[in-house]
Amino acid sequence: MPLASYQTSVPVVVDDAKCIADKGCTVCVDVCPLDVLRISDTTSKAYMAYDECWYCMPCEADCPTGAVTVNIPYLLR
Amino acid sequence: MALDQIVDGLSEVSCDVLVIGGGTAGPMAALKAKLKNPKANVVLLEKANVKRSGAISMGMDGLNNAVIPGYATPEQYTKEITIANDGIVDQKAVYKYAQNCFEIIEELDSFGIRFLKNENGDYAVKKVHHIGTYVLPMPNGETVKKALYRQLRRARILISNRYMATRLLKSSDGRIAGAISVNTRTAEMLVIKAKAVILCMGAAGRLGLPTSGYMFGTYENAANSGDGYAMAYHAGAALANLECFQINPLIKDYNGPACAYVAGPFGAYTANNEGSRFIECDYWSGQMMLEFYNELLSGKGPVFLQLKHLHPDTISEIESTLHKVERPTRGLFQQGRGVDYRSESIEMHISEIGFCSGHSASGVFVDDNARTTVPGLYAAGDMASVPHNYMLGAFTNGAVAGIDAMEFADNHDFAEFDAADVAMERDRVMAPTKREDGIPPNQIEYKTRRLVNDYLQPPKVTRKYQLGMRRLAEAREDMQERMIARNAHELLRALEVQSIMDCADMAAHASLYREESRWGLYHWRTDFPEKDNENWFCHTLLSKQDGKMTSDRRAVEPYVVPIADDEKDLYDKQRIRASA
Amino acid sequence: MSSPFESYDDLEDADERLQAADPAERRVAIIALGHSGDPAAVAHLANMVADPDAGVRQQVAMALGEFDGPEAASALVKLLVDPERIVAAAAADSMAEFKDPACAEIILPLVKHAHAFVRMGALRALKELRCKDTLKPALEALQDTDAAVRVQAIGVIGFLKLEESIPALTALINDPDAHVRRAAVSALAFSQMKPAAETITRALKDADWMVREMAAETLGLNVNGAIAADQLVACLGDEFWQVRLKAIRSLGKMKIERAVRPIGNCVNHDQANLRKEAAAALGEIAHADGEAFLAVIADDPDPDVRKNARWALQQIAARKARAGA
Repeated sequence: MPLASYQTSVPVVVDDAKCIADKGCTVCVDVCPLDVLRISDTTSKAYMAYDECWYCMPCEADCPTGAVTVNIPYLLR
Repeated sequence: MALDQIVDGLSEVSCDVLVIGGGTAGPMAALKAKLKNPKANVVLLEKANVKRSGAISMGMDGLNNAVIPGYATPEQYTKEITIANDGIVDQKAVYKYAQNCFEIIEELDSFGIRFLKNENGDYAVKKVHHIGTYVLPMPNGETVKKALYRQLRRARILISNRYMATRLLKSSDGRIAGAISVNTRTAEMLVIKAKAVILCMGAAGRLGLPTSGYMFGTYENAANSGDGYAMAYHAGAALANLECFQINPLIKDYNGPACAYVAGPFGAYTANNEGSRFIECDYWSGQMMLEFYNELLSGKGPVFLQLKHLHPDTISEIESTLHKVERPTRGLFQQGRGVDYRSESIEMHISEIGFCSGHSASGVFVDDNARTTVPGLYAAGDMASVPHNYMLGAFTNGAVAGIDAMEFADNHDFAEFDAADVAMERDRVMAPTKREDGIPPNQIEYKTRRLVNDYLQPPKVTRKYQLGMRRLAEAREDMQERMIARNAHELLRALEVQSIMDCADMAAHASLYREESRWGLYHWRTDFPEKDNENWFCHTLLSKQDGKMTSDRRAVEPYVVPIADDEKDLYDKQRIRASA
Repeated sequence: MSSPFESYDDLEDADERLQAADPAERRVAIIALGHSGDPAAVAHLANMVADPDAGVRQQVAMALGEFDGPEAASALVKLLVDPERIVAAAAADSMAEFKDPACAEIILPLVKHAHAFVRMGALRALKELRCKDTLKPALEALQDTDAAVRVQAIGVIGFLKLEESIPALTALINDPDAHVRRAAVSALAFSQMKPAAETITRALKDADWMVREMAAETLGLNVNGAIAADQLVACLGDEFWQVRLKAIRSLGKMKIERAVRPIGNCVNHDQANLRKEAAAALGEIAHADGEAFLAVIADDPDPDVRKNARWALQQIAARKARAGA
């Protein structure tokens, strides 16, 4: 059976201007219990690659520059 | 390189003690093992990253079951837990916890973990329950993981992040030999030979589907997919009382704790739509959840956590904890809905089902030394059968496991496993990556968990269970024959679905075996509505025998803290209703 | 495949990375040092306290919190006096986790710093160190013009649990700030002597309800608390149910029989929490006069009230049976 992709608005948002992943920081990617954040190959900034979020906050709390914002996933907002 | 591209690889390492799971019990077990024998190698394997993994990722807002001298005694606590579990308790392990836990609090305090103290430096223990006094708030509890992590680094524990353990290895004579794991970012496999293994892999919290429909909006950390339960099962270990499900009262939709233990000491309480208390039962138990469930379905629902009768300054104090520790997005959620605790109560609901001895009693069977029924294999924390042990129990029993496992490792050499077992497991793990076409793991997971809700959620109806098991078997066939994983991350989810499926099967099997009702809502069977002490005053042990799921009875060990006849139905007595 | 384990070689090229031109790169290096757990990292971090970038200094303050001892303390005191508030706040948080008493003498001089935030942070860190040398400076800090500083000084004194500090804590009962008065009452709980109980008794008449609540609760922890029985009974008329509730609980704990009637009169209060506490206290006192009041709430609409009322009636019955036998 062919596969289709599925649109979803992701809860974790990264402010590229503040993110220092391009300088070697991986804090948010490291601390995520669900392992859903990645560093983009194109922008070298962090982003949410998979919408599998427990809205638990370490990514936001541990980000050294305050670049990460966790929103409540839409379905349970 | 494509995102999370699969790399083929297999390597092997060895250690004296392998701890699987770096949440709460795991770090403590690893630390204690290493301190017991500093020359030994201790590996701590974690599916996520030890820095923020497990149920206490963002810390914990308080201890619910602290047995602190001057406030409660080990005897009193053991009695309470025995009664809250309808008597089905091996008291030795509970009593040992109660005796050891204060020492562990002191040790955690020395790590820099902050408990609430009065201005005279004493712990500010709060009374919430009718009988005992067990609550110690942690308004600055968000740094628990940070403090644990630095202890691990100081002790030079070998930490291995982003490796998901999939199966245990045993020797031909049944002794533990190690574990097989897979890297969640590359799919490379790692075999870890070990003399002793401690499972600290948390609850099976991704079993039922939250009512919001968001698969990861679970009560438990959504990474806790029951891998430990599945691994113990496939290794032939016995699992105790799995029919005693975990179900919790939570903030509706948000699906996190409200949290009555934070607000309770300040005078907040759970109330119905008339603003009145309705919970008769005192201690957190299945009976309490049944009363909650009944109220939700009655004309007196919905159910709320009521704070608005408190002074605004008190509410601010409560908010400063609720919105900072354990589940800090609680504040964001309420803000989004325009709920202010000063004028509006918090709507509550009950959670999806799961296994978790941290809150109920469903776990891998362990004795008072945290030993499972497999020689050299230990378990601690939410997945081990010591009932109601919460975070402090995970620390305390993790410590017990670490010390005993190192002793075992000191007295045994490596057990030999069959290389064919590794090859077979590699084939099983990688199978979804070898298919060109099929069903992605998220669809199989959604369906499985939806079936759990539809058929296995209490009240438990035999006919529904039979139908549910048929549907689950069909989903299992899809999972085994057709599931695909196109990158390493999807493979992680594909492996988790297999744990979830195993747990669903175990939940069904265990529930049908116990032909009575017990533990309130947790095991309410409509076909057997009464408690049957004559035939079922026993543990049930589920295990894999000759490749088949089997259940047996196991007698409750003689009590070490005797309970007088008039105390046995203490909780029933408390449930006396107002005269009509 | 690379090693499956976290590296313990974090310090290898630390100096080079800490000198990167880009402040963000320096931050990343500092984070790694903080996580290393290697005590040798402290020296590297200490070299960074004067970094021109405030964000970097903030990161240094956080990373130093992963360590304990005089060397980390020496570096953190420099950051606590940093002109940038984000740096100073991070330093204060990190210092609050120190447990090594050897840190005390390094932190002590800051108790006299010109900025209130620094004095407060220093005192907060000293609390957990429980070092006798800190008593005198903390007592002096009770005269601080800033109330938040006085609150932290009370903690330092309270944690030391020394009888000699009772007069100074007693004097705070007249402090203009309610938080200070409340903290002083809480600190006095360490003493089981009469003077402490007398001071707390005076606080039952405080203008602020939270101070009165704390006093009513704290008396229950003092073996001499019963000297305040009449004043606690008077608290049962307090306009705040929260104060009445704590007074009832303490009277129950002390088993004050003459309080049975006034407590009994609370069983009709519309706040269920209060009715519940009254029932529980009547059970603890277990005097027969409580029965009539308990009968009123034995069928209370609130299950917790019923539960406590029935338990209390059992206690009274049991006491009667003992007396009969």
